[in-house]
Amino acid sequence: MHMPWRSADLVDPDRYLKGVPHDLFALLRAHAPVSWHEPGDGPGFWAITKYRDVVAVSRDPRTFSSARRSALYREATVSELAEMQLMMLNMDPTRHTRIRSLVNKGFTPRMVARLEPRIREVTARILDAVAPLGECDFVTSVAAELPLQVIAELMGVPQEDRHQLFTWSNQLIGFDDPEYATSPETGRQASLEVYMYANRLAAERRKNPGDDLVSTLVHAEVDGRKLTEMEFDLFFLLLMVAGNETTRNLISGGLLALLEHPDQKARLLADPSLIPSAVEEMLRWVTPVMHFRRTATADVEIGGQKIRAGEKVMLFYPSANRDEEVFPDPFRFDVARQPNEHLAFGIGEHYCLGANLARLEIRIMFEELLRRLPDIELAGAAVRLRSSFINGIKHMPVRFTPQGKSYAR
Amino acid sequence: MKVTIDPDLCEGNAKCVKACPEVFALGDDDRSYLLCEPAEELRAKVQEAARLCPRQAISIAD
Repeated sequence: MHMPWRSADLVDPDRYLKGVPHDLFALLRAHAPVSWHEPGDGPGFWAITKYRDVVAVSRDPRTFSSARRSALYREATVSELAEMQLMMLNMDPTRHTRIRSLVNKGFTPRMVARLEPRIREVTARILDAVAPLGECDFVTSVAAELPLQVIAELMGVPQEDRHQLFTWSNQLIGFDDPEYATSPETGRQASLEVYMYANRLAAERRKNPGDDLVSTLVHAEVDGRKLTEMEFDLFFLLLMVAGNETTRNLISGGLLALLEHPDQKARLLADPSLIPSAVEEMLRWVTPVMHFRRTATADVEIGGQKIRAGEKVMLFYPSANRDEEVFPDPFRFDVARQPNEHLAFGIGEHYCLGANLARLEIRIMFEELLRRLPDIELAGAAVRLRSSFINGIKHMPVRFTPQGKSYAR
Repeated sequence: MKVTIDPDLCEGNAKCVKACPEVFALGDDDRSYLLCEPAEELRAKVQEAARLCPRQAISIAD
């Protein structure tokens, strides 16, 4: 059967410049929920587009490996792969489970809830800084700042270094975007700089341990030994990128969704108790991480399709989150949607470690933002990240009635 | 109905507690525990708890 799409469409960053190709995903869900693609930049892959199939693959990490060829789309060389496999993202059970247990106690709902007063304070300071201006680039001045400051604090990174982390993180994630990656080497260079930075910080924390994740990691033992320098460096890099890039894009994309749906914004302004469900709807709507990769370790069947051992499998989360079988009227942005068991954080073994932290940051941001700057509106077009991996916004000019610095809480 | 919670996977998200408080409870160590071996009439609620677990830590045998 002839299919009206090009094989590269699902992973071509240019196809995502104007937005996620939801029309294409809808077509695939309806006619070829598990379809074979040969974009020509490596081996072909199976595209998993239905909610139930994304769940089935995610909950079977032994058959669908993150370690075998990494969890990323791009094909890695043997030496790259060996390095990547030291990162939690690219591990399978039981190694993954043990490494994750070093830090997961700090990210439970109960532990994260203790951060609420501090996060509210940081959010207030960020909004106070832009409130008198009447306009700003929402991404760089607001959305990026909160997760950066929070992850810096949790990891024990001095706040004055956070903009350096912002730059490195952009270079690592923006490998397909000319604003961030000026050459193919940019990402590689950025990761080396992150490692050097992480090592300096680790040396410092070995001498003066604090109440932060870096101190935990430099003193932690797995299977009777401490993390190697490379293991530590990659852990640091993962937390740094995952802890700021994704939340930033959700806050920006979530606000954009609200501004594009003024009735829904009005609803939230009238009833702020809807903010927690609005956060879930923003997560479903935006889905900041758009895919991860698995590699089949055995012959297996998914959604009626035979997949052979060794084949590449791509999970498309934005498609699962618009699945008509799970979400009634999936293309409607509804801040009161219930139930809303979206897969923006994934599910199973690799379920986002920071999900509770992200939810808290996003909720507090929208509580404070809508209270302080209720008439916030677009002052120009949002500029999207050129990427088929991260659903990102680089710049988003907004304006609002200026508020004095002494604006009473 | 035999229900198990994988303690290495559970991260205290407590979705199971919300879905089926008759069977699941959150411990002081931020992990979910079984309060009892669930009666057959709770099967649908236990299945819902297993489905909602973000870490897919709950399994139901027979």
